[in-house]
Amino acid sequence: MEDLKSDRILEIKDDISDELRKAGYAEIGACIQCGNCTASCPSGRRTAMRTRSIVREALLGLDEVLSDKELWLCTTCYTCFERCPRNIPITDIIIFLRNLAVQRGHILPNHLNLCRMFYDTGHGVPINDEKWNIMRESYGVSRVPPTVHAHPKAVKEVQELISCVGFDKTIAWGKYAKKEEKAEKK
Amino acid sequence: MSNTINTDEEIKIGIYVCHCGINIAGVIDTTTLTEYAKTLPNVSLSKEYTFMCSSIGQEMIKEDINKGLINRVVVAACSPRMHEPTFRTVVREAGLNEFLFEQANIREHASWVNLNDSEGALKIAKDHVRMAVAKLNELKPLEVELVKVEPTCLIIGAGIAGMYASLDLAQEGYDVYLVEKEPTIGGHMAQLDKTFPTMDCSACILTPKMVDVEREEKIHLMTYSEVDNVDGYVGNFDVTIKKKPHYIDQEACTGCGACAIECPVICGNEFELSIGTRKAAYIPFPQAIPGKYTIDMIKCIKCGICASPDVCEPDAIRLDQKPEYIDVKVGTIIVATGWDLYDPTELKQYGYGKYPNVITGLEMERLLSSYGPLEGKPVRPSDLKPPHVLGFLQCVGSRDFRPGKNKYCSRVCCMYATKQARQYKEKHPEASVYIFYTDIRAFGKGYEEFYESAGENFNIKFIRGRIGELYENKDHSLIVRAEDTFLQKQIEIKLDMLVLSCGLEPRHDSDQLASLLTIQKSSDGFFMEAHPKLRPVDTLTSGIFIAGVAQGPKDIPDTVAQAKGAASSAATLMAKGEFEIEPYYSIVLEEKCSGCKSCQSLCPFNAISFDVFKNIAVINKALCKGCGTCVAACPSDAIVQNHFSDDQIFAMINTAIPPLAKTENGGK
Repeated sequence: MEDLKSDRILEIKDDISDELRKAGYAEIGACIQCGNCTASCPSGRRTAMRTRSIVREALLGLDEVLSDKELWLCTTCYTCFERCPRNIPITDIIIFLRNLAVQRGHILPNHLNLCRMFYDTGHGVPINDEKWNIMRESYGVSRVPPTVHAHPKAVKEVQELISCVGFDKTIAWGKYAKKEEKAEKK
Repeated sequence: MSNTINTDEEIKIGIYVCHCGINIAGVIDTTTLTEYAKTLPNVSLSKEYTFMCSSIGQEMIKEDINKGLINRVVVAACSPRMHEPTFRTVVREAGLNEFLFEQANIREHASWVNLNDSEGALKIAKDHVRMAVAKLNELKPLEVELVKVEPTCLIIGAGIAGMYASLDLAQEGYDVYLVEKEPTIGGHMAQLDKTFPTMDCSACILTPKMVDVEREEKIHLMTYSEVDNVDGYVGNFDVTIKKKPHYIDQEACTGCGACAIECPVICGNEFELSIGTRKAAYIPFPQAIPGKYTIDMIKCIKCGICASPDVCEPDAIRLDQKPEYIDVKVGTIIVATGWDLYDPTELKQYGYGKYPNVITGLEMERLLSSYGPLEGKPVRPSDLKPPHVLGFLQCVGSRDFRPGKNKYCSRVCCMYATKQARQYKEKHPEASVYIFYTDIRAFGKGYEEFYESAGENFNIKFIRGRIGELYENKDHSLIVRAEDTFLQKQIEIKLDMLVLSCGLEPRHDSDQLASLLTIQKSSDGFFMEAHPKLRPVDTLTSGIFIAGVAQGPKDIPDTVAQAKGAASSAATLMAKGEFEIEPYYSIVLEEKCSGCKSCQSLCPFNAISFDVFKNIAVINKALCKGCGTCVAACPSDAIVQNHFSDDQIFAMINTAIPPLAKTENGGK
C-alpha cells in the first residue's frame, strides 16, 4: 500500500464540514454539484474561482479550500445564494470559510496589511495622509476627521477591543507580532 | 353482430388516405396518392382526410358503406398495430365483415423513413396501397370465435406482488390459487427492515396483509409448492401444481415449535442469508404464514426425535411424506415470481466472499432488521463491533455493458443504500458514512426529498465515483480508492465495512417458467410485457399476465401498482367470461398432412399437438398467434393461415414487384 500513497491522493476529513454543521450550515450536505453557482458567478467569469469546487472541497474537508486563493475571489454578490436549488447559503458559507481560513493562518498579504492597519490606526483605510487633509480643508471641513484620527488616545481603546476578541493574535500583530516583521517595518 | 357474407357480390373497394396531421401529408402528396388509388382494380372511391382515426374520419367510412358505395375498405395510414382494431370496429359497425379490411402503413413505412424524399415516399406509398388493394381483392370473410374463460386465477409467487393481486381478485369474487415455492409467503419484502422513503417498518405493513391472504376464503394458498405443468390456453389452462413434502402434516401442525426446539441439526437460515441459523425443522421467521413447520430433508439426519409423541403432541410428523400433485383448471395466470440478488463474487476487485467486512445490501438489511439475527444492531463481521466508517458502493452488477453483465439500472439500490445509511446514522450519529455512486436516481414520490435529507440532516457523504481498488488491512479494515469526479481527484478512505448495493436479477429458474408458460423474456432476462407502455402487465400469450420485479426491477409502490393492474386485467377477462379468438390462426389440411411433425417443434407458442390416431398435426386455435412459422415450414403445403393465405400473399408480391419476364426485357 505504501508505494501507492502520493500527494495526489486526497485525504477526506470531516472537520470543516463538522464546523459548518455546528455553525448551522448543514444544508451543504445536500449539495448535488449541479454547478448553478459557478455558472451564475460574476467573479468566476473573469477569475479562477469555481464556487462549486469550493463547496465540494469544504464538504470533504480538504485543506486546499482554506489555503487556495480562490476563496478570496468571491465578491459576495449573493447570486449563487439566491439561485442554489438546494437552498445552500453559499455566500455565507464562503464568508464562514474565510474566517476559518484566517483562524488557521491562511490570509492574503494585502488583507493582512489591512487588518494591521486597522490595529495601528483604527481604520482599515486611514485618512491621515497629507493630501487628504488638504482636500478636506478645501471643502471647508476639519483637516482630520472626527474619528480615531482626531483622538489619538482612542487608538489604544481600539487595540484593547481588538485584543479582547483575539484578533491581534489572529493577525500576529501587536504583542504577537513577530520580531523580524517588526524589524522589517522599521 | 351477424354480418351477412355474400362472396359473390361485386367487389367495391373504398380507399381512405390519412394525412395523420403532417406526419404523412407533410412528406407525401396525398392528393396524387388518392387520385392514383382510383386507378386500381375494383376501387369504387378514394378519399383523403386529416385524421381518419377521428370520429369524423370513421363516420366517412360508415356513411359510404351504408350508402352501398363500397363493401371493402383500405385505410392508408399508420401501422395496423396502432389502428387496425379501430377500423375493424368501424367496418363491423357499418354491417360488413370486419375482416374485409386492410390497412396500408404509409406512415412508418413511407413518410417517416423518407422525410427528405417526397418523391420516393410517394412511390413507396403507392406500392403499399396497391398491395393492400391486391390483398383485399383476395380476402375472405372470417368469423371471430369465442372461448369460455374459467373464473379462476393462478398466481405464481406470493411476494408483495402476488399477495396484492390475490387479494384484489379474491375480493372481486374470483377463486385464486396462490402458489409459493418457499414455506412462507411474503417474498423478499419480508426480509427488509424499513422501507424508503417513509421509513415504514416493512414487517409492520406487510404482515397484516399476509394474515389477510391466509384468512381470505377465496385464496387457496399453496406454499412450498411449484407449478409443475401448464397446458391449455386462455380461459382454460390445465395446471398441475407440485406440493413439496413438508414432512409435517400441515393440517395437524399447531405451530408450537417443539420440533424445532428439540431438533439437533443447526444450519444456516436462508431467510437470514445464513447470517442467522435455524434447525432442520423450522419456520423461516416468527411471523411466517402459514405458521406451520417444515422439515428440511437435506439437512435432516433422521434421528426421529421430533416424531416422538413427547415432542410433537398432535403427532404431525410424517417423515415418509411424498410430493403431492394437484390439478387445477384456471382461466388466467399472473406471474409474480420476483427476483434474485446479483451475486457480486465475480467482481473480484471488491473481494466479496474473501474479505469478511464486504457484505451485500440484502445482508445489511438483515443486520439492520430489528427482528434479524442482530436485533437491529449492525456490526462488522470480522470483530463484531459497530463500524465507525461505513461505505456503500452503488451499481454493483448493474449498468454494466460488458458481455454477460446486467445493462439495466436496478432502480432500487440508490434508495435502499441511502435508507440503510440513514438508519445506521440514526443509531450511530458519530459514524462517518460514505456512499460511492455513479448517479443518484431518486425518481419516485418523496425520494428526492429523502435523498436531500440524507445529506443535509444525516451528514451522509455522497461521493460520485465508483470504487476502483480495494485492499484489506491486517485488522480487516478496508482501504478503498475512488475518484471524486466532481473535483477530478483521487481519494482514499479507510472503511471499517463496505456494503455492496447489488442489483436485482431475473430468477435463476425463470427460463423454465417462461417455456412452461410460453411467455417471452426481454433481452434483460425479465419477463416481457406485450407493449412497454400500453400493455405493461400483459404477455404476448393471452390470459397470462406479469407483475412486480418478474417484469423488470421496480420498487414496492410500483410493484403493488403493477400487481393491482395485473389483477384488474385478469378480472376483466374473467368478468366477461368469454374471450374472442382472432381468426388469424393456422389450419392443418388433414388430407395433405404427412405427420412429419416438422411444425410441432418450431411453434413458438406450443400451439401444435400431434394426433397419434390420425397421424396428423393439430393446431390449437386459442394458442396460435398466427405467426406463420408452421405454414412456411410445412414440406407438404398442408398448413394454411387465415387472412394470410398463399393467394393473398402472392397477390401482394406480384403487384409489388413487376413480373420477371418484363424485367428481363429491360422494361420497368
